[in-house]
Amino acid sequence: MSTQDSRGILFTHTRPQEGFRLLELTPELEELLTSKDAPVLELKSPSTALAQAVIDPTAHDYVNLCTPTQTYRIRQVQSSNSLHILRPSRGEISQADIKVVEEDAGESGALNLPDEAVTAISKCSSTLELHIPPGGFSVIPFLEKSLRLYDRRSDDDGDIAMGGSADPTAPLGSKKMRSARENVYQDIPMSTAQCEQGWMELCAFVDGAEEVACWRPSARSRLAVWKRLVDGAILQGIDLEKQFLVGDLWKSVVDDEEMELPFPRALLEAVVRRICIADERPPLSDDIKWASFDKVECTQWVGETYLAATAPTTSSAIGRSELLRAWKDCLPETWRGEVALSKLPNGCYNSPDPTTICFVEPSQRQPTSKTASAPATAAKAKNTRNWHELLKGRR
Amino acid sequence: MPSIKLQPHCSSPAKATTTTPTPNNPLPALLQTPSGLALLELQGTINVPSGNEEDDLDHSTSTENPASTFETPIGKLMFPDYSFHNPDDTKWMKRAYMYVGRYQRMTGEVKKLPRPIAVLRKRHASEGEELEVVEIVRYKIFFKSRPEPVTNV
Repeated sequence: MSTQDSRGILFTHTRPQEGFRLLELTPELEELLTSKDAPVLELKSPSTALAQAVIDPTAHDYVNLCTPTQTYRIRQVQSSNSLHILRPSRGEISQADIKVVEEDAGESGALNLPDEAVTAISKCSSTLELHIPPGGFSVIPFLEKSLRLYDRRSDDDGDIAMGGSADPTAPLGSKKMRSARENVYQDIPMSTAQCEQGWMELCAFVDGAEEVACWRPSARSRLAVWKRLVDGAILQGIDLEKQFLVGDLWKSVVDDEEMELPFPRALLEAVVRRICIADERPPLSDDIKWASFDKVECTQWVGETYLAATAPTTSSAIGRSELLRAWKDCLPETWRGEVALSKLPNGCYNSPDPTTICFVEPSQRQPTSKTASAPATAAKAKNTRNWHELLKGRR
Repeated sequence: MPSIKLQPHCSSPAKATTTTPTPNNPLPALLQTPSGLALLELQGTINVPSGNEEDDLDHSTSTENPASTFETPIGKLMFPDYSFHNPDDTKWMKRAYMYVGRYQRMTGEVKKLPRPIAVLRKRHASEGEELEVVEIVRYKIFFKSRPEPVTNV
Protein backbone atom coordinates (compact mmCIF):
# COMPACT_ATOMS: atom_id res chain seq x y z
CA MET A 1 0.00 0.00 0.00
CA SER A 2 2.82 2.35 0.77
CA THR A 3 4.00 2.18 -2.80
CA GLN A 4 0.67 2.72 -4.43
CA ASP A 5 1.52 6.27 -5.39
CA SER A 6 4.13 5.09 -7.82
CA ARG A 7 2.14 2.19 -9.18
CA GLY A 8 -1.33 3.55 -9.47
CA ILE A 9 -4.58 1.79 -8.82
CA LEU A 10 -6.12 -0.41 -11.44
CA PHE A 11 -9.41 1.05 -12.59
CA THR A 12 -12.10 -1.15 -14.10
CA HIS A 13 -15.71 -1.03 -15.20
CA THR A 14 -18.12 -3.59 -13.79
CA ARG A 15 -20.95 -5.00 -15.79
CA PRO A 16 -23.81 -5.18 -15.17
CA GLN A 17 -24.02 -1.81 -13.50
CA GLU A 18 -26.11 -1.16 -10.40
CA GLY A 19 -28.80 1.44 -9.93
CA PHE A 20 -28.10 4.27 -7.52
CA ARG A 21 -29.36 7.78 -6.99
CA LEU A 22 -27.30 10.66 -5.67
CA LEU A 23 -28.91 13.09 -3.29
CA GLU A 24 -27.16 16.29 -2.32
CA LEU A 25 -27.62 16.91 1.38
CA THR A 26 -28.21 20.16 3.18
CA PRO A 27 -26.22 20.67 6.39
CA GLU A 28 -29.32 19.97 8.49
CA LEU A 29 -30.01 16.73 6.63
CA GLU A 30 -26.42 15.61 6.91
CA GLU A 31 -26.57 16.14 10.63
CA LEU A 32 -29.86 14.26 10.84
CA LEU A 33 -28.69 11.31 8.77
CA THR A 34 -25.38 10.95 10.58
CA SER A 35 -26.93 11.18 14.03
CA LYS A 36 -27.16 8.05 16.08
CA ASP A 37 -30.93 7.67 15.95
CA ALA A 38 -31.45 8.93 12.43
CA PRO A 39 -35.15 9.01 11.60
CA VAL A 40 -36.77 7.42 8.58
CA LEU A 41 -37.34 10.07 5.92
CA GLU A 42 -40.16 10.13 3.45
CA LEU A 43 -40.49 10.98 -0.20
CA LYS A 44 -43.97 12.38 -0.51
CA SER A 45 -46.09 13.60 -3.35
CA PRO A 46 -49.73 14.63 -3.07
CA SER A 47 -52.48 12.15 -3.84
CA THR A 48 -53.93 12.57 -7.33
CA ALA A 49 -57.02 14.29 -5.97
CA LEU A 50 -55.01 16.70 -3.85
CA ALA A 51 -52.59 17.46 -6.66
CA GLN A 52 -55.55 18.61 -8.74
CA ALA A 53 -57.12 20.57 -5.92
CA VAL A 54 -54.00 22.33 -4.71
CA ILE A 55 -52.01 23.43 -7.73
CA ASP A 56 -48.42 24.39 -7.25
CA PRO A 57 -47.66 27.09 -9.82
CA THR A 58 -43.95 26.29 -9.80
CA ALA A 59 -44.12 22.59 -10.46
CA HIS A 60 -46.39 20.16 -12.18
CA ASP A 61 -45.31 16.88 -10.76
CA TYR A 62 -43.13 16.98 -7.77
CA VAL A 63 -41.74 14.94 -4.94
CA ASN A 64 -40.88 16.36 -1.56
CA LEU A 65 -38.37 14.96 0.85
CA CYS A 66 -39.73 15.13 4.38
CA THR A 67 -37.86 14.78 7.63
CA PRO A 68 -40.04 14.60 10.75
CA THR A 69 -40.07 18.40 10.91
CA GLN A 70 -38.89 19.81 7.60
CA THR A 71 -39.89 19.63 3.93
CA TYR A 72 -37.68 20.03 0.87
CA ARG A 73 -38.60 20.07 -2.79
CA ILE A 74 -36.53 17.61 -4.81
CA ARG A 75 -35.12 18.82 -8.08
CA GLN A 76 -33.36 16.57 -10.51
CA VAL A 77 -30.31 18.32 -11.91
CA GLN A 78 -28.79 16.90 -15.07
CA SER A 79 -25.09 17.21 -15.62
CA SER A 80 -23.07 16.92 -18.79
CA ASN A 81 -20.40 15.25 -16.73
CA SER A 82 -20.97 11.74 -15.56
CA LEU A 83 -20.62 10.69 -11.97
CA HIS A 84 -19.42 7.17 -11.44
CA ILE A 85 -19.70 5.28 -8.22
CA LEU A 86 -16.59 3.31 -7.39
CA ARG A 87 -15.92 0.53 -4.99
CA PRO A 88 -12.90 -1.65 -4.34
CA SER A 89 -12.68 -4.41 -6.88
CA ARG A 90 -13.45 -7.97 -5.89
CA GLY A 91 -10.84 -9.13 -8.32
CA GLU A 92 -13.16 -10.55 -10.94
CA ILE A 93 -10.68 -9.75 -13.64
CA SER A 94 -8.24 -11.91 -15.43
CA GLN A 95 -4.54 -11.18 -15.31
CA ALA A 96 -4.47 -11.32 -19.08
CA ASP A 97 -6.90 -8.43 -19.33
CA ILE A 98 -4.73 -6.23 -17.22
CA LYS A 99 -2.19 -6.11 -20.01
CA VAL A 100 -4.48 -3.65 -21.72
CA VAL A 101 -3.46 -1.06 -19.23
CA GLU A 102 -0.12 -2.25 -17.92
CA GLU A 103 3.04 -2.99 -19.80
CA ASP A 104 4.08 -6.61 -19.55
CA ALA A 105 7.06 -5.77 -17.45
CA GLY A 106 7.07 -2.20 -16.20
CA GLU A 107 10.21 -0.82 -14.60
CA SER A 108 8.42 -1.06 -11.26
CA GLY A 109 8.57 -4.74 -11.99
CA ALA A 110 5.09 -5.74 -11.02
CA LEU A 111 1.58 -5.85 -12.29
CA ASN A 112 -1.09 -4.49 -10.10
CA LEU A 113 -2.61 -7.11 -7.95
CA PRO A 114 -6.31 -7.45 -8.60
CA ASP A 115 -7.12 -6.56 -5.02
CA GLU A 116 -5.52 -3.18 -5.55
CA ALA A 117 -8.19 -2.10 -7.93
CA VAL A 118 -11.31 -0.02 -7.91
CA THR A 119 -14.23 -0.54 -10.19
CA ALA A 120 -17.02 1.67 -11.47
CA ILE A 121 -20.33 0.04 -10.57
CA SER A 122 -22.81 2.74 -11.46
CA LYS A 123 -23.15 5.86 -13.54
CA CYS A 124 -25.37 8.77 -12.58
CA SER A 125 -25.94 11.58 -15.03
CA SER A 126 -28.08 13.56 -12.63
CA THR A 127 -28.15 14.39 -8.96
CA LEU A 128 -31.11 15.21 -6.77
CA GLU A 129 -30.90 18.61 -5.17
CA LEU A 130 -33.07 19.96 -2.40
CA HIS A 131 -34.51 23.37 -2.01
CA ILE A 132 -37.15 25.24 -0.11
CA PRO A 133 -39.14 27.65 -2.25
CA PRO A 134 -39.19 31.27 -1.12
CA GLY A 135 -42.09 31.55 1.27
CA GLY A 136 -41.75 27.95 2.31
CA PHE A 137 -44.42 25.30 2.07
CA SER A 138 -47.96 25.84 3.22
CA VAL A 139 -49.84 22.88 4.51
CA ILE A 140 -53.10 24.79 5.04
CA PRO A 141 -54.49 24.50 1.47
CA PHE A 142 -53.91 20.75 1.57
CA LEU A 143 -55.62 20.37 4.93
CA GLU A 144 -58.52 22.52 3.82
CA LYS A 145 -59.10 20.21 0.87
CA SER A 146 -58.63 17.06 2.93
CA LEU A 147 -60.83 17.82 5.91
CA ARG A 148 -64.59 18.05 6.01
CA LEU A 149 -66.00 21.46 6.77
CA TYR A 150 -67.77 21.61 10.11
CA ASP A 151 -70.24 24.46 9.94
CA ARG A 152 -72.91 24.12 12.59
CA ARG A 153 -73.71 26.65 15.19
CA SER A 154 -74.77 25.60 18.61
CA ASP A 155 -78.08 27.33 18.17
CA ASP A 156 -78.92 25.39 15.01
CA ASP A 157 -81.64 22.88 15.48
CA GLY A 158 -80.25 19.51 16.11
CA ASP A 159 -81.38 17.91 12.87
CA ILE A 160 -77.88 17.26 11.71
CA ALA A 161 -76.19 17.31 15.06
CA MET A 162 -73.44 14.84 15.65
CA GLY A 163 -73.57 12.58 18.60
CA GLY A 164 -76.74 10.61 18.80
CA SER A 165 -77.37 7.74 21.09
CA ALA A 166 -73.82 6.59 21.63
CA ASP A 167 -72.23 8.39 24.53
CA PRO A 168 -70.96 11.40 22.66
CA THR A 169 -68.92 12.75 25.51
CA ALA A 170 -66.68 9.71 25.51
CA PRO A 171 -63.71 10.96 23.56
CA LEU A 172 -62.12 8.85 20.93
CA GLY A 173 -58.99 7.11 22.15
CA SER A 174 -55.88 9.13 21.42
CA LYS A 175 -54.56 6.22 19.38
CA LYS A 176 -57.55 6.29 17.08
CA MET A 177 -57.36 10.05 16.73
CA ARG A 178 -53.74 9.79 15.86
CA SER A 179 -54.25 7.21 13.17
CA ALA A 180 -57.09 9.32 11.73
CA ARG A 181 -54.73 12.30 11.57
CA GLU A 182 -51.95 10.25 10.07
CA ASN A 183 -54.30 9.02 7.39
CA VAL A 184 -54.88 12.60 6.37
CA TYR A 185 -51.16 13.48 6.45
CA GLN A 186 -50.35 10.48 4.27
CA ASP A 187 -51.60 12.31 1.19
CA ILE A 188 -50.09 15.69 2.06
CA PRO A 189 -46.56 16.19 0.74
CA MET A 190 -45.20 17.82 3.89
CA SER A 191 -43.50 16.75 7.08
CA THR A 192 -45.59 15.48 9.97
CA ALA A 193 -44.61 18.43 12.17
CA GLN A 194 -45.78 20.89 9.53
CA CYS A 195 -49.04 18.96 9.10
CA GLU A 196 -49.60 18.98 12.87
CA GLN A 197 -48.92 22.70 13.02
CA GLY A 198 -51.45 23.35 10.26
CA TRP A 199 -53.95 21.02 11.90
CA MET A 200 -53.66 22.94 15.13
CA GLU A 201 -53.89 26.28 13.35
CA LEU A 202 -57.17 25.30 11.69
CA CYS A 203 -58.60 23.92 14.98
CA ALA A 204 -59.15 20.67 13.11
CA PHE A 205 -60.51 17.76 15.11
CA VAL A 206 -61.38 14.10 14.88
CA ASP A 207 -64.89 13.10 15.72
CA GLY A 208 -65.93 9.52 16.22
CA ALA A 209 -69.56 9.86 17.19
CA GLU A 210 -71.00 8.21 14.10
CA GLU A 211 -67.96 7.40 12.06
CA VAL A 212 -64.42 8.51 12.52
CA ALA A 213 -64.04 11.67 10.51
CA CYS A 214 -61.69 14.64 10.45
CA TRP A 215 -63.19 18.09 10.45
CA ARG A 216 -62.14 21.67 10.18
CA PRO A 217 -64.57 24.10 11.75
CA SER A 218 -65.74 27.10 9.76
CA ALA A 219 -64.99 30.55 11.15
CA ARG A 220 -68.64 30.71 12.19
CA SER A 221 -68.35 27.50 14.22
CA ARG A 222 -65.08 28.60 15.80
CA LEU A 223 -66.64 31.87 16.82
CA ALA A 224 -69.66 30.04 18.24
CA VAL A 225 -67.35 27.83 20.30
CA TRP A 226 -65.50 30.87 21.57
CA LYS A 227 -68.68 32.70 22.60
CA ARG A 228 -70.02 29.65 24.37
CA LEU A 229 -66.68 29.15 26.08
CA VAL A 230 -66.59 32.73 27.37
CA ASP A 231 -70.18 32.50 28.62
CA GLY A 232 -69.43 29.23 30.37
CA ALA A 233 -66.24 30.55 31.92
CA ILE A 234 -67.98 33.63 33.26
CA LEU A 235 -70.83 31.54 34.65
CA GLN A 236 -68.52 29.15 36.43
CA GLY A 237 -65.99 31.79 37.45
CA ILE A 238 -63.13 30.35 35.44
CA ASP A 239 -60.36 32.87 34.92
CA LEU A 240 -59.18 32.23 31.38
CA GLU A 241 -55.90 34.03 31.93
CA LYS A 242 -54.92 31.66 34.73
CA GLN A 243 -54.45 27.95 34.38
CA PHE A 244 -57.73 26.11 34.22
CA LEU A 245 -58.75 22.52 33.67
CA VAL A 246 -60.08 22.04 30.17
CA GLY A 247 -62.46 19.47 31.62
CA ASP A 248 -63.97 22.17 33.88
CA LEU A 249 -64.37 24.46 30.90
CA TRP A 250 -66.15 21.70 28.98
CA LYS A 251 -68.52 21.15 31.92
CA SER A 252 -69.26 24.86 32.02
CA VAL A 253 -70.09 24.79 28.32
CA VAL A 254 -72.42 21.81 28.48
CA ASP A 255 -75.84 22.81 29.60
CA ASP A 256 -77.43 20.09 31.70
CA GLU A 257 -80.88 21.10 30.56
CA GLU A 258 -80.07 20.46 26.93
CA MET A 259 -80.22 17.00 25.49
CA GLU A 260 -77.91 17.80 22.66
CA LEU A 261 -74.35 18.84 23.05
CA PRO A 262 -73.58 22.21 21.52
CA PHE A 263 -70.58 20.77 19.69
CA PRO A 264 -68.15 17.88 20.11
CA ARG A 265 -65.75 18.09 22.98
CA ALA A 266 -62.91 17.54 20.52
CA LEU A 267 -63.83 20.84 18.87
CA LEU A 268 -63.65 22.73 22.15
CA GLU A 269 -60.27 21.14 22.82
CA ALA A 270 -59.07 22.07 19.34
CA VAL A 271 -60.05 25.70 19.86
CA VAL A 272 -58.48 25.80 23.33
CA ARG A 273 -55.32 24.28 21.92
CA ARG A 274 -55.20 26.86 19.17
CA ILE A 275 -55.51 29.90 21.41
CA CYS A 276 -53.77 28.74 24.56
CA ILE A 277 -50.33 30.12 25.38
CA ALA A 278 -48.02 28.52 22.84
CA ASP A 279 -45.35 27.51 25.36
CA GLU A 280 -47.89 25.51 27.31
CA ARG A 281 -49.39 23.82 24.29
CA PRO A 282 -48.98 20.06 24.44
CA PRO A 283 -48.22 18.15 21.24
CA LEU A 284 -51.28 16.88 19.38
CA SER A 285 -50.50 13.36 20.53
CA ASP A 286 -51.16 14.38 24.14
CA ASP A 287 -54.48 15.40 25.61
CA ILE A 288 -54.83 19.01 26.53
CA LYS A 289 -55.60 18.95 30.24
CA TRP A 290 -54.59 22.39 31.40
CA ALA A 291 -54.58 25.65 29.52
CA SER A 292 -54.48 29.37 29.98
CA PHE A 293 -55.03 32.14 27.48
CA ASP A 294 -53.02 35.21 26.70
CA LYS A 295 -55.27 38.24 26.55
CA VAL A 296 -53.50 39.90 23.62
CA GLU A 297 -53.12 36.87 21.37
CA CYS A 298 -56.56 35.63 22.15
CA THR A 299 -58.13 38.98 21.33
CA GLN A 300 -56.34 38.99 18.02
CA TRP A 301 -57.60 35.52 17.17
CA VAL A 302 -61.16 36.43 18.11
CA GLY A 303 -61.04 39.57 15.96
CA GLU A 304 -59.73 37.69 12.94
CA THR A 305 -62.22 34.89 13.43
CA TYR A 306 -65.11 37.31 13.80
CA LEU A 307 -64.14 39.06 10.59
CA ALA A 308 -63.76 35.76 8.74
CA ALA A 309 -67.18 34.65 9.99
CA THR A 310 -69.13 37.80 9.21
CA ALA A 311 -67.30 39.47 6.34
CA PRO A 312 -65.53 36.72 4.40
CA THR A 313 -65.55 38.56 1.05
CA THR A 314 -65.43 42.11 -0.31
CA SER A 315 -69.12 42.03 -1.12
CA SER A 316 -70.01 41.20 2.47
CA ALA A 317 -67.79 43.88 4.00
CA ILE A 318 -69.02 45.36 7.27
CA GLY A 319 -68.56 48.75 8.87
CA ARG A 320 -65.39 49.21 10.88
CA SER A 321 -67.17 50.55 13.93
CA GLU A 322 -69.59 47.65 13.72
CA LEU A 323 -66.67 45.24 13.76
CA LEU A 324 -65.05 46.91 16.75
CA ARG A 325 -68.30 46.86 18.71
CA ALA A 326 -69.08 43.23 17.92
CA TRP A 327 -65.49 42.19 18.57
CA LYS A 328 -65.61 43.75 22.03
CA ASP A 329 -68.87 41.97 22.71
CA CYS A 330 -67.20 38.64 22.07
CA LEU A 331 -64.61 39.20 24.79
CA PRO A 332 -64.63 38.98 28.56
CA GLU A 333 -65.29 42.39 30.18
CA THR A 334 -61.68 43.00 31.20
CA TRP A 335 -60.26 42.32 27.73
CA ARG A 336 -62.32 44.85 25.83
CA GLY A 337 -59.59 47.46 26.04
CA GLU A 338 -57.42 45.29 23.77
CA VAL A 339 -59.66 45.82 20.77
CA ALA A 340 -58.21 47.97 17.98
CA LEU A 341 -57.90 47.55 14.23
CA SER A 342 -54.15 47.67 14.56
CA LYS A 343 -54.33 44.52 16.70
CA LEU A 344 -55.57 42.41 13.80
CA PRO A 345 -52.86 40.25 12.22
CA ASN A 346 -50.98 41.83 9.33
CA GLY A 347 -52.74 41.57 6.02
CA CYS A 348 -55.77 39.73 7.34
CA TYR A 349 -58.18 42.44 6.24
CA ASN A 350 -58.94 44.67 3.33
CA SER A 351 -60.91 47.89 3.14
CA PRO A 352 -63.16 48.15 0.08
CA ASP A 353 -63.89 51.73 1.15
CA PRO A 354 -62.69 53.88 4.06
CA THR A 355 -65.44 52.86 6.46
CA THR A 356 -65.78 49.15 5.74
CA ILE A 357 -63.64 46.13 6.27
CA CYS A 358 -63.57 42.54 5.10
CA PHE A 359 -61.52 39.43 5.62
CA VAL A 360 -58.68 38.31 3.35
CA GLU A 361 -58.13 34.58 3.00
CA PRO A 362 -54.64 33.55 4.11
CA SER A 363 -53.88 32.27 0.61
CA GLN A 364 -54.70 35.69 -0.89
CA ARG A 365 -52.48 37.67 1.45
CA GLN A 366 -49.24 39.27 0.41
CA PRO A 367 -46.45 36.91 1.28
CA THR A 368 -44.69 38.03 4.41
CA SER A 369 -41.00 37.65 4.85
CA LYS A 370 -41.32 35.71 8.07
CA THR A 371 -42.27 32.50 6.28
CA ALA A 372 -39.07 32.51 4.28
CA SER A 373 -37.03 30.73 6.86
CA ALA A 374 -33.32 30.37 7.19
CA PRO A 375 -33.06 27.09 5.26
CA ALA A 376 -34.58 28.84 2.25
CA THR A 377 -31.84 31.40 2.12
CA ALA A 378 -29.27 28.69 2.59
CA ALA A 379 -30.72 26.83 -0.36
CA LYS A 380 -30.65 29.99 -2.40
CA ALA A 381 -27.02 30.68 -1.74
CA LYS A 382 -26.22 27.20 -2.86
CA ASN A 383 -28.19 27.49 -6.06
CA THR A 384 -25.73 29.91 -7.55
CA ARG A 385 -23.65 26.90 -8.50
CA ASN A 386 -26.44 25.89 -10.78
CA TRP A 387 -26.28 27.54 -14.17
CA HIS A 388 -30.02 27.11 -14.73
CA GLU A 389 -30.60 29.34 -11.77
CA LEU A 390 -27.93 31.82 -12.76
CA LEU A 391 -29.42 32.27 -16.21
CA LYS A 392 -32.92 32.53 -14.85
CA GLY A 393 -31.82 35.42 -12.68
CA ARG A 394 -30.39 37.30 -15.64
CA ARG A 395 -33.45 37.10 -17.80
CA MET B 1 -48.85 5.64 -3.50
CA PRO B 2 -47.89 9.08 -2.34
CA SER B 3 -45.23 8.16 0.19
CA ILE B 4 -41.99 6.23 -0.14
CA LYS B 5 -39.84 5.63 2.88
CA LEU B 6 -36.17 6.53 2.83
CA GLN B 7 -34.30 4.52 5.43
CA PRO B 8 -31.36 6.36 6.94
CA HIS B 9 -29.16 3.29 7.07
CA CYS B 10 -28.36 0.42 4.83
CA SER B 11 -30.25 -2.75 5.72
CA SER B 12 -27.12 -4.84 5.35
CA PRO B 13 -24.08 -2.59 5.54
CA ALA B 14 -21.79 -5.16 4.01
CA LYS B 15 -24.20 -6.10 1.26
CA ALA B 16 -21.89 -5.00 -1.50
CA THR B 17 -19.12 -7.14 -0.19
CA THR B 18 -20.73 -10.12 1.50
CA THR B 19 -20.13 -12.52 -1.35
CA THR B 20 -16.39 -12.21 -1.04
CA PRO B 21 -14.13 -11.13 1.80
CA THR B 22 -14.01 -7.32 2.01
CA PRO B 23 -11.48 -6.27 -0.59
CA ASN B 24 -8.64 -4.03 0.34
CA ASN B 25 -9.48 -0.41 -0.46
CA PRO B 26 -6.53 1.02 -2.38
CA LEU B 27 -7.79 4.62 -2.42
CA PRO B 28 -6.25 7.33 -0.25
CA ALA B 29 -7.73 7.27 3.25
CA LEU B 30 -9.59 10.52 2.66
CA LEU B 31 -11.60 8.91 -0.13
CA GLN B 32 -12.42 5.77 1.79
CA THR B 33 -15.89 5.33 3.20
CA PRO B 34 -17.31 2.60 5.44
CA SER B 35 -19.07 0.95 2.51
CA GLY B 36 -16.09 1.45 0.22
CA LEU B 37 -18.08 3.59 -2.21
CA ALA B 38 -16.41 6.64 -3.76
CA LEU B 39 -17.34 9.16 -6.42
CA LEU B 40 -15.55 9.82 -9.69
CA GLU B 41 -16.64 12.63 -11.98
CA LEU B 42 -15.63 12.70 -15.61
CA GLN B 43 -16.19 15.02 -18.45
CA GLY B 44 -17.84 12.65 -20.85
CA THR B 45 -18.42 9.06 -20.01
CA ILE B 46 -16.90 5.62 -20.02
CA ASN B 47 -17.79 3.69 -23.13
CA VAL B 48 -17.40 0.01 -22.73
CA PRO B 49 -17.28 -1.79 -26.06
CA SER B 50 -19.45 -4.74 -25.13
CA GLY B 51 -23.11 -3.80 -25.38
CA ASN B 52 -24.82 -0.49 -24.84
CA GLU B 53 -25.32 1.49 -21.65
CA GLU B 54 -29.09 1.04 -21.49
CA ASP B 55 -28.68 -2.63 -20.75
CA ASP B 56 -26.71 -1.72 -17.67
CA LEU B 57 -29.75 -0.45 -15.88
CA ASP B 58 -31.29 -3.88 -15.89
CA HIS B 59 -29.48 -4.78 -12.75
CA SER B 60 -32.24 -6.18 -10.58
CA THR B 61 -31.94 -9.78 -11.67
CA SER B 62 -28.32 -10.10 -12.58
CA THR B 63 -26.62 -8.63 -9.51
CA GLU B 64 -27.96 -11.49 -7.43
CA ASN B 65 -25.70 -13.80 -9.36
CA PRO B 66 -22.07 -12.81 -8.86
CA ALA B 67 -20.91 -15.13 -11.59
CA SER B 68 -22.57 -12.95 -14.17
CA THR B 69 -20.66 -9.81 -13.22
CA PHE B 70 -17.35 -9.09 -14.82
CA GLU B 71 -14.91 -6.23 -14.88
CA THR B 72 -13.39 -4.57 -17.89
CA PRO B 73 -10.06 -2.89 -17.22
CA ILE B 74 -10.00 0.73 -18.27
CA GLY B 75 -6.84 2.18 -16.94
CA LYS B 76 -5.21 3.32 -13.76
CA LEU B 77 -5.82 5.96 -11.14
CA MET B 78 -2.83 7.70 -9.64
CA PHE B 79 -2.41 10.18 -6.87
CA PRO B 80 1.22 11.09 -7.51
CA ASP B 81 1.68 13.32 -4.48
CA TYR B 82 -0.12 11.14 -1.99
CA SER B 83 1.96 9.61 0.70
CA PHE B 84 0.58 6.84 2.82
CA HIS B 85 2.91 8.00 5.60
CA ASN B 86 1.52 11.48 5.72
CA PRO B 87 -2.20 11.21 5.09
CA ASP B 88 -3.07 14.45 6.88
CA ASP B 89 -1.25 16.61 4.38
CA THR B 90 -3.90 17.45 1.79
CA LYS B 91 -1.66 19.01 -0.89
CA TRP B 92 -1.78 15.73 -2.81
CA MET B 93 -5.44 16.39 -3.58
CA LYS B 94 -4.43 18.93 -6.20
CA ARG B 95 -3.19 16.30 -8.59
CA ALA B 96 -4.70 13.07 -9.79
CA TYR B 97 -4.14 11.13 -12.98
CA MET B 98 -6.31 8.71 -14.77
CA TYR B 99 -4.73 6.63 -17.47
CA VAL B 100 -7.08 5.37 -20.09
CA GLY B 101 -5.47 2.38 -21.60
CA ARG B 102 -1.73 2.90 -21.72
CA TYR B 103 -1.31 5.94 -23.87
CA GLN B 104 -3.87 8.48 -22.72
CA ARG B 105 -4.00 10.37 -19.51
CA MET B 106 -6.44 12.72 -17.83
CA THR B 107 -5.32 15.20 -15.21
CA GLY B 108 -7.64 16.05 -12.40
CA GLU B 109 -7.89 16.53 -8.69
CA VAL B 110 -9.63 15.38 -5.56
CA LYS B 111 -12.25 17.84 -4.41
CA LYS B 112 -14.27 18.21 -1.29
CA LEU B 113 -17.91 18.31 -2.31
CA PRO B 114 -19.62 21.63 -1.57
CA ARG B 115 -22.36 19.56 -0.02
CA PRO B 116 -22.10 15.93 0.94
CA ILE B 117 -23.91 13.51 -1.33
CA ALA B 118 -26.00 10.63 -0.09
CA VAL B 119 -25.87 7.53 -2.24
CA LEU B 120 -29.34 5.99 -2.38
CA ARG B 121 -30.62 2.75 -3.72
CA LYS B 122 -33.73 0.65 -3.65
CA ARG B 123 -33.89 -1.52 -0.60
CA HIS B 124 -34.00 -5.16 -1.47
CA ALA B 125 -36.29 -7.63 0.22
CA SER B 126 -38.70 -5.11 1.62
CA GLU B 127 -42.42 -4.80 1.19
CA GLY B 128 -43.39 -2.07 -1.20
CA GLU B 129 -40.98 0.46 -2.53
CA GLU B 130 -38.35 1.67 -0.14
CA LEU B 131 -35.08 3.49 -0.51
CA GLU B 132 -32.06 3.50 1.72
CA VAL B 133 -29.00 5.62 2.23
CA VAL B 134 -26.05 3.39 1.47
CA GLU B 135 -23.34 5.94 2.09
CA ILE B 136 -22.68 9.63 2.56
CA VAL B 137 -19.77 10.74 0.38
CA ARG B 138 -17.85 13.97 1.01
CA TYR B 139 -15.12 13.94 -1.63
CA LYS B 140 -14.93 13.21 -5.31
CA ILE B 141 -12.18 12.47 -7.78
CA PHE B 142 -12.74 14.98 -10.53
CA PHE B 143 -11.39 14.97 -14.09
CA LYS B 144 -12.63 17.96 -15.97
CA SER B 145 -10.21 17.86 -18.87
CA ARG B 146 -10.01 15.55 -21.85
CA PRO B 147 -7.44 12.79 -22.07
CA GLU B 148 -4.07 13.76 -23.47
CA PRO B 149 -1.68 11.41 -25.21
CA VAL B 150 1.29 10.17 -23.27
CA THR B 151 4.14 8.27 -24.77
CA ASN B 152 5.85 7.03 -21.72
CA VAL B 153 3.98 5.73 -18.71
